[in-house]
Amino acid sequence: MSSQILAEVCQCVEGFGSAAKEGRWRTTLTIYRPVARDPSSTATSAPVPMPGDLPRDFLGLTLHDRPGAYFFILRHHRLILQADANVQSLMDKLQSYKARVVLHFEGFQYQLGDFMLRVGKCVQSHADTLRGIMMEVEYLPLSSIDKSRQIMEDFLDIWQDAVIKKSLPGQFINVELNFADYGLQDQYTPQHTALQYATCIVQLMATVRS
Amino acid sequence: MMPQAQQTTSAVGALAAPQDPLESAGDATTEAPPKQVALAMERLTRAARVIADIRLGADRLLEALFMAADARDQSNSKAVEFILKEESSMRQHFQDLRALGRQLEDSGVLNGSLKSRGNSWGLHMPLVCPDGAVVAYAWKRQLAGQAGASAVDRTRLALKAFTDQKRRFFPHLDDEVSGDGEIGIAKKRLNSQGLIMSQREELREKKSLSDILKDLEHEFPNARIFTYQRLDWLKRASLLSSSAIENSSDPLKEQILNHSSNTRFGSVNVAAADQAAVIELLVPSVFRAVVSLHPAGSTNPDAVSFFATDEGGNHIHARGLSVHHVFRHVTEHADKALQYFVCVDNNLSLSLLLRWICSHQTLFSKTCSKCDRLLVMDKSLALLLPPVHRAYQETTTTVSSQTESTPPTKAAHPDHISAYHIGCSADDC
Repeated sequence: MSSQILAEVCQCVEGFGSAAKEGRWRTTLTIYRPVARDPSSTATSAPVPMPGDLPRDFLGLTLHDRPGAYFFILRHHRLILQADANVQSLMDKLQSYKARVVLHFEGFQYQLGDFMLRVGKCVQSHADTLRGIMMEVEYLPLSSIDKSRQIMEDFLDIWQDAVIKKSLPGQFINVELNFADYGLQDQYTPQHTALQYATCIVQLMATVRS
Repeated sequence: MMPQAQQTTSAVGALAAPQDPLESAGDATTEAPPKQVALAMERLTRAARVIADIRLGADRLLEALFMAADARDQSNSKAVEFILKEESSMRQHFQDLRALGRQLEDSGVLNGSLKSRGNSWGLHMPLVCPDGAVVAYAWKRQLAGQAGASAVDRTRLALKAFTDQKRRFFPHLDDEVSGDGEIGIAKKRLNSQGLIMSQREELREKKSLSDILKDLEHEFPNARIFTYQRLDWLKRASLLSSSAIENSSDPLKEQILNHSSNTRFGSVNVAAADQAAVIELLVPSVFRAVVSLHPAGSTNPDAVSFFATDEGGNHIHARGLSVHHVFRHVTEHADKALQYFVCVDNNLSLSLLLRWICSHQTLFSKTCSKCDRLLVMDKSLALLLPPVHRAYQETTTTVSSQTESTPPTKAAHPDHISAYHIGCSADDC
């Protein structure tokens, strides 16, 4: 896992011909852990939440193209929430959750005809170790997940063919996600993107562990 | 942008004694057309200024509200005073705008009413599109350098002049279509589908626009079809852009948008079909096609263009181009298909075109008939595209085998129209 592989992947994208490099992008994912409250410090008679009540896999996400929004995801409860970016300062003030791990996805953005590709590496903040390489593919003319399924599958096939020629160690894995579980509709929204990043991270961790 | 002008278009007649404010009392009837046009242009610029004032006033009000929210107690009274002053000046602006709007409407600027009045010296009142663009049309005179004929109108006039002259000087060219030479070749190609011939018999009588649209609705239940007058379509196009910008993830909002446009313009389907100049064909989540008819209310298509369903903006019209490559290529191919349909049979051209457009509902799912893949990298364009060329000469053998068994009442099923990638189209179809 090195940045050379990332460079090779970028070359692969550029090899498609008319891919125009458009600039950098960055998405940040934060994994929170609950802060255990000290019972002696609370003056009110409010009930102290037991550690078991608080969700363990609480994720927060900023997307690169939506700086004004912040997304919260509870994976086990299948909940996703879109909030204003100011909620982060609120979280700091409340001190109910602490950021356990902060991950950055950053890299270059390419426009390949009607496809918008974002190739990037996954790094932990304050540490330069490369955790993984990921790619986000967006097909601009369509917004319906159902209608664009075939196109995306075909694109993945073409992409896998191109990548195999480079004989890189490792391969791209696409994890299908059932958006309906989270109550999301067929029309694609930033919430879908946020969920896909979360799934990506889970996949990454699962692969690293195994 | 249109003010809430209460006057109805019954003032168009201009024969009844006008109940307008005194200023415009004599204008509509006694002024000569050039003066009318000049007045209209001047009123439009005044309206633009008033609107700019209103915008500034709104900004100032917002600013005052922010100040009042920020400051605690000290300058509250100052803010209140400021707000009251702004409110009265805004009210005045709105009244001015309403008066101007009434004058403009009476003089026929905001609708095309003046065209129906005679004696206009070949001049037309400027038309205001809802996005603020002013289309001033002057045929013979230039008014203070402000008027200019629109390119579309000029081209149309040139084409009309050309076809008229062609009919006069080359009458034998006209006979070619109905004569023996060309039509024989055309029939040979089409004879392989007895279905097409019987379809022609069925549609031999020239159908009206509403009949064509009703047939289409029965045949393609997925597609939603609306008709608009030309200005109404521009309004809808700008509505589309605002909903696309908000990125309405709410399907309810989309329904409301469609419903409101349907109830507002849906009556056009039935009532004013003779004024319909734009047909919108929407296959939800796949594409939106816009067809322009000329003249309004006829069944002569003169332009077609394809767009994405959530694309919005003022370029969404029959001569506009989509921002997406796939739809641009479909539009390019559609131009050729339109020319073909018009040449083959002018009476049938609209229904053939609309059916062919509906066959694109499988644009993102139907594989190419030649290479059997969906997404392919086009080497010359360096783009990944699905099959964007759909055959319009309908020379598929699968259709003919169907006709022997089925009664010839249904037209060629859209699934049988073959699709090709740009590089895969064998003949230049």
